[in-house]
Amino acid sequence: MSTLDDKINEINRLAIQITKDNDDDRLMNLSIGPQHPGSGHFRIVIKVDGDYIVYADPDIGYVHRGEEKMSEHRNFIQNIPHLERPVIHDSTNIIYSYSLAIEELIGINPPRRGQFVRAIAAELDRLVYTTYWLAIYGIFLGHSTMFMWPTGDRELIIDLLERMTGHRVTHAFSVPGGVRNDIPYNFKEKCLTQINYFEKRLKEYEDIFYNNPLLRQRTEGVGIMNKEDAIKLGVTGSVLRASGVPYDIRKVEPYDVYDEIDFKVQYMKSCDTFARAYVPYLDMKESCHIIRQLLDKMPDEGSVREKIVGNVKAQPGETYRRVESGRGALGYYIISDGSTKPYRLKISTGSFRNILALPFLLVGSKLGDMPAIYWALNYWPIEADR
Amino acid sequence: MNTATGFIKAIQSGTKHIVMKRFTLRYPEEKLKFTGDGYQFDPKKGVGIAGTRGRHILFHDKCTGCQLCAIACEGIAEAITMVKVDEQWKQNKKSIMPQIDYGKCVFCGFCVDACPFYALYMTNDYELSAYTKTHLIYTPAQLAVKPRDDGEVEIKMGKRGAYHGR
Repeated sequence: MSTLDDKINEINRLAIQITKDNDDDRLMNLSIGPQHPGSGHFRIVIKVDGDYIVYADPDIGYVHRGEEKMSEHRNFIQNIPHLERPVIHDSTNIIYSYSLAIEELIGINPPRRGQFVRAIAAELDRLVYTTYWLAIYGIFLGHSTMFMWPTGDRELIIDLLERMTGHRVTHAFSVPGGVRNDIPYNFKEKCLTQINYFEKRLKEYEDIFYNNPLLRQRTEGVGIMNKEDAIKLGVTGSVLRASGVPYDIRKVEPYDVYDEIDFKVQYMKSCDTFARAYVPYLDMKESCHIIRQLLDKMPDEGSVREKIVGNVKAQPGETYRRVESGRGALGYYIISDGSTKPYRLKISTGSFRNILALPFLLVGSKLGDMPAIYWALNYWPIEADR
Repeated sequence: MNTATGFIKAIQSGTKHIVMKRFTLRYPEEKLKFTGDGYQFDPKKGVGIAGTRGRHILFHDKCTGCQLCAIACEGIAEAITMVKVDEQWKQNKKSIMPQIDYGKCVFCGFCVDACPFYALYMTNDYELSAYTKTHLIYTPAQLAVKPRDDGEVEIKMGKRGAYHGR
C-alpha cells in the first residue's frame, strides 16, 4: 500500500473518530472562511491538536451559481457573458474552450488571424490572473510589497487588454468563429514595449520575493506531494507541474496555433510549496515569450471572425474540448440535440481538481503553514463552485 | 544563495524604488485616453471595430424599432426595453426605440453586434454613477447624446519606470 492510500485511510479514520467523540477537549475546531479571512469565498473546516492540523475538510459550494443549468436556457452567444463570470481575471481562457467546443458542434473554423488574436488575448489574460494570484499569495504570507507590485504591474496588461477587447476584466472577446474585433492600429508596438517592461519587473519579483530567505523558510519542504501522489489525486496545471510532471494542455493537445509556437513546459522536481508558488512565475515568463512569438508570426491581413447568424443551430452530437488556463486544464463537455441551445453543458475546472488535494497536504502540517499551502494550490473558489 | 546576500538583494531591490516614478493614476483629475470612439460593429463584414465598451449611443435617424437589440439582451441582462417615442421617423413606423437600464447592463456589447442598421454603438463614457436607481435608466433621448471625451493620460515608459503621463 502506498503512502497516499495510508494517508487517505488515516484521514477517513480520523473523520469517523472525530465525529464520534466530538466533545473531546483536546482538539479545537476552526472554521476558516467562508467570508474571506484568508480563504476566498470558501470554508475550510479544520481540527487542530495543539499546533498541528489533524483533520481538514474543504467545504466547497458557498458561491455556487448554477452556471451549468443557466446555460441550458440561453443560446450559444448569450451564454458567453455569464460563463466568464466565474473567473473574471481569466475570462478569455474560460471562454476559449467553450468557443472551441461550439465551433466543433457548428462545424466552422476561425480564420488564421483570428486564431492568433485569440491566443494573444488568452496569454495576456493568463498574465493578469497570475499577477493577481501572486499579489494575494504575497499578502497572505505577510509580504505587503508583493501585494502592491503585482497589482500595479497588472495594470499594464489590463491596459493592453482594454485597448484590444474593450473591457478591463470581463472581455467577452472570444466567440464561436474567432474573436469579435481586430486589434487596434498601434497595438503591436505598445504590446511589445509593455511586455518588455513587464519582464524586467518579473526579475525584481525574484529578488524581493522568491529569493527572499523568509519566503524560502516558510515554503521549502512544506506540504510535500510527490509525483505518484499528484497523478493519483488528479491535480492539474501548476500544481501538477510543481510535482515534476511536465504536463501542459498547450503541448499535449495543441489547440488553434499553439503547435506552431516554440515554448517549454515549465516544471520543477522539488514537489513542495515553494515549487507550487514558483511554477506560475515561470509560466508568466514563458507567456511573455509566447506573446512575442504570436505577435511576430501573426498574418498582417485577413478577417478575424467567421460570420455566423446570431441564433445559430448546432449539429446533434457531443464534444469535449479543453485548454490550459491559469489554474490548469479547463474543459467543456457539451451535448447538443440540434437546437439553438446546449442540451447539457458541463464545465471541468482546474480549481476543483486541485482543491481535492488540500486535506492530503494539510493533515500533519502546522496551522501556521496553512495559508502558504492553501494559496499555493492556485485555487479560485468561484470557478470551482461554478 | 546564503541568507545574508538574500536579504541584502531583497532590500536593495525595494529601496531602488524610492527614486522611481509613481505609477498611480490620480483619477478624477487625470483620465485615461482611449484608442477609438468606442466599440462599433460592421454588420456587413460581421466584425467589430476595437474600442471601449462604455455607455451606448443611439442614432435616432437610423433606428427602425426592430427590437433585435432587446432580443439579444433577453438572456444576458434584460436591460433593454422598447419604449414609445414622440418623434416621427420614416424608417420607424411603430415609433419605438430602446431604453437601457444601466443598473442591469453588463456592457458585453452583443446588442451592438445584433443591430443591422448601424444605429446602436458604444462610447467611451464609463462614468455612469447616479443617486437613485431610476436615474440609471437612460431614455432614447439621453442615449442620443454624444459624450464628452476628455481623457488625456496614458501609460508611458521612462528611465524611472512606467508612469501615467500626457
